[in-house]
Amino acid sequence: MTGRHVTAGRLARTAGVLAVALAVSIAAAVAIGPVHVSLTQALARADSPDYAILFRTRLPRVLLAGVVGGSLASAGAALQALLGNPLACPHLLGISGGAAVAGVFALIAGADPVSPLVPLAAFGGALGAIAIVGLGSRAGGRTTPHAVLLVGVVFNALAAAALMLLNAIVSYTQAQGVLFWIMGSLSTQSYALIAGVTAYSLVGIAWLMTRTHELNLLAAGEEGALQLGVDVERTRRTVFVAASLLVGAAVSVSGMIGFVGLIVPHLLRLALGPDHRIVVPASFLGGAAFLVWADTLARTALAPVELPVGVVTALAGGPFFLFLLRRHLRRAVR
Amino acid sequence: MVLAACAAPPAIPPGPPGRVVSLAPSVTEIVYALGVGDRLVGVCAQCDEPAAASLPRVGGYLAPSVEATLALRPALVIVVPSPGNREAVRAIERAGVRVLVVQDRTLNDLWASIRDVSAALGVEPAGATLAAELQHRLDDVHARIAGRPRPRVLAVVGHRPLVAVGPGTLQDDLIAIAGGENVMADAGGPWPALSLEVVVARAPDVIVDASMGTEAGLHELFDHLETIPAVRAGRVVRLADADAFLRAGPRVPTAAAALASLFHPSVPATAAMTPATS
Repeated sequence: MTGRHVTAGRLARTAGVLAVALAVSIAAAVAIGPVHVSLTQALARADSPDYAILFRTRLPRVLLAGVVGGSLASAGAALQALLGNPLACPHLLGISGGAAVAGVFALIAGADPVSPLVPLAAFGGALGAIAIVGLGSRAGGRTTPHAVLLVGVVFNALAAAALMLLNAIVSYTQAQGVLFWIMGSLSTQSYALIAGVTAYSLVGIAWLMTRTHELNLLAAGEEGALQLGVDVERTRRTVFVAASLLVGAAVSVSGMIGFVGLIVPHLLRLALGPDHRIVVPASFLGGAAFLVWADTLARTALAPVELPVGVVTALAGGPFFLFLLRRHLRRAVR
Repeated sequence: MVLAACAAPPAIPPGPPGRVVSLAPSVTEIVYALGVGDRLVGVCAQCDEPAAASLPRVGGYLAPSVEATLALRPALVIVVPSPGNREAVRAIERAGVRVLVVQDRTLNDLWASIRDVSAALGVEPAGATLAAELQHRLDDVHARIAGRPRPRVLAVVGHRPLVAVGPGTLQDDLIAIAGGENVMADAGGPWPALSLEVVVARAPDVIVDASMGTEAGLHELFDHLETIPAVRAGRVVRLADADAFLRAGPRVPTAAAALASLFHPSVPATAAMTPATS
């Protein structure tokens, strides 16, 4: 099948270019920060502040931004195809909200914001949200995209209300911790935690990759997909759980960072076309690079003070996205 | 509430108000320190002054309940402004209740609020005495450490995000009085959120934690960064009484004394540095 072959070549080229771009982004982001450091000093002495800044605070944070950005963007790409809705993103389905509520509960129960208990609880919350939305939208052994969207939106509203309620009853200083989940934030985490999040994300993306061909057929219409022998129900379940794994891992360490899961897949579709065999992995790499840069801006724009990264993703990503969309629409009309 | 707003405002009885509601922990502490705690008929949910333990609560510091406040028929309501309580405070005013607004950002705000609260309650002499006593105790703390080298201090009020004490705050004033140099004195705002690497670069000698976080979290955050002098020397410490440090109230000398013994462990504490028993 030449079609497959061409796709494999394109995939390799696209992934190669994006992987190089991501590697360059990571290197650049580690070089840029609110504090000036000397690389030679850092490499010469492991007990120098330069070493501590580069390898114990900056590199872990940049890597975390990459994993979170890649997870959110690839999950967004898959969910948009699965639900046939261009607005689908991790937030819309309440997965982020479920994670945030559980994370805040852990805080109120006395866990320190820094302890690994909080991301663990948040990950549990994400899985719980998935179970509720998944089971809640099933009827007669079938799940329709329509029902998933509706149940997700309602669940998301419930989670938002629960967060507001918790915010109103906790003490002033604890309210700061709640705000972290609502606004989203990247901060330095231990390498062990980052490795854990990365492992979950890689499982999620690998699983998604096994279903991208079916996603293409599904995106063209459920009827046609059925005729071509796609087990629609099973595909939906797999993609939904895999995407949720990605989102759960990301939200558990960074709160609700918006826009990445929405705009990165659309940008890449505009650039690369609608083939999900390419768009899904490209979204992982592109989303990683996007969030690495957004966080670099958040860390440095007002140094030594930092901005919430969600503010940067919205302010930088929103207008750029609108610009590209307008250009695309004008071309389509011509 | 509509009925209350339409009714004629109640005639203000002569003399100092006898029924007072405090909507901030710092204000409640000031009222008791002025010796007129018996005038309070209601306090906020976060007001943890032990003497006020039996008083009715009228909702949160950030979101007071208008109805619960009015139901206590107060002659005076004392508040610290926040975005969350603005509408509630306006509604209380519209209902004809006198409202006194005091600030709690800096040490000067504390002097002003002691003056205004004591004037509103008709106990100006007690206000002058309290302010003089607090000032004297702060001066005493400062005198103990005068001339000594000042350690570089980072004071943390949140772990994730990492939020520190910046300039223009009561806490910055207290660090200076206790003989420390705030490493975030040049931050643009009062409560800067920091990247961890900024802490490494600023290399504080002491890290003071006044957050709601736990001891374990504090160590998780800093322990692997041995290039920070405070970490190397084991001077990453939680403040035992963070509220005394965070509130513009009569306990600020206690906070200043606690900081001074952290910053200058070789200087013996004196009677004046421990809280006065009144």
